[in-house]
Amino acid sequence: MSEYIFCFDLDATVTKVEILPEIAKALPEDDLGEKMRQITERTMAGELPFEESFRSRVNILLQVPVSTVREIIGRVPINEQMAAFIREHADRCYIVTGNLDIWICDLMERMGLKPDHVLCSHATVVDDKIVSVDEVIDKGKAIAKLPHPFVAIGDGNNDAEMVGAAEVGIGFGGVREIAPAVLNNATHAVYTEEKLCQFLRRLL
Amino acid sequence: MSIPKTIVISAAGMGTRLGIGTTKALIDIDGKPLIIRQLELLKDYDDIRVVVGYQMERVIEVVNSFRKDVLFVFNHNYKNTGTGGSFSLALPFARELVVSLDGDLLVHPDDLRRVLESDKECACGGVISTENPMRMITRKGEDGKIYGVGFSRDEGDYEWTGLAQVRTARLTPGDRHVCDMLTPLLPLEMVEIRTKEVDTPTDYKHAIAWVKNGYKE
Repeated sequence: MSEYIFCFDLDATVTKVEILPEIAKALPEDDLGEKMRQITERTMAGELPFEESFRSRVNILLQVPVSTVREIIGRVPINEQMAAFIREHADRCYIVTGNLDIWICDLMERMGLKPDHVLCSHATVVDDKIVSVDEVIDKGKAIAKLPHPFVAIGDGNNDAEMVGAAEVGIGFGGVREIAPAVLNNATHAVYTEEKLCQFLRRLL
Repeated sequence: MSIPKTIVISAAGMGTRLGIGTTKALIDIDGKPLIIRQLELLKDYDDIRVVVGYQMERVIEVVNSFRKDVLFVFNHNYKNTGTGGSFSLALPFARELVVSLDGDLLVHPDDLRRVLESDKECACGGVISTENPMRMITRKGEDGKIYGVGFSRDEGDYEWTGLAQVRTARLTPGDRHVCDMLTPLLPLEMVEIRTKEVDTPTDYKHAIAWVKNGYKE
């Protein structure tokens, strides 16, 4: 058995769709929903850096009950073979995501991951509302705390540092195009979930 | 075929001698990119690794248009490494047998199938057809088979083709050429195959004519 641990990006890697548009779609057709949709479009077009986009999203969603967002994210379809790999090897797998702990906790529970295997942003909630965002994760810094050797799997610009730091850095193009920064930092790239899982099993 | 195998296509190089500004794996051979002609012969294999470097996004796009279940391996240092460097990057976690196939090599389909359907280790040679080739020094074994016993620019009756099948565990990674990695494993059975390597504009013309003529001279 190898000593690798496995770090997965969440959005459009483990999830079959991008989470942000799913939240935007699920919000009512009012000002709030419209603002969310605008930010989504700008983020998807690469016009907003992650942290700015994230803070804007949180500001909009401050008015939405945390339980509503959590329920939306909890229903997001996931790549089942990848999720099965994570469940089977939960002690060696981590999710590394910019999303807030209080939004993704149901989804993480579905994946069989304990809170200390989820590296994410943190917020304080009172009465189902966010009262403060305590930490916005920097994926590059977050994975620096993990033991080597590790395998990283991601697709977006904010995964490039994590993929580059890994002994085996894998670009995953099964949901959307792999960002050029990830291709430039990766050791490998795959374009189907089946292929990814076949390779990950070889790395166990 | 019973032993699990990994097939590595090294398609990271720049192909500067050809002078057409595209990596050789993508050159058009009678209506199809060379790498697609290779992949068409590998439909029965499920661990194919394509090493990419120069024009990596274009190579990935072309391969994905044919089949999506390929593992791409990046050789970001393709300017300073040879085929051995690319091959070595694809070796970790490969299966018991590994096949090395250069991305600029057209192999007669019958000959490639013959090599792949066998589980024996081999290094493939061909008729000498390029200028200053790497040659295989061979000798006849007691079993009547021909064995490759060395690689040389000066002697040898066969041209080294770049196609080989060996046990992964026996290989030591290197950054020069595949033949350098095979040298410690010699002697290896030499299998003669018909190929066209595309190094120069003249090679390119010959390769197209060969394919158009049903892989006949």
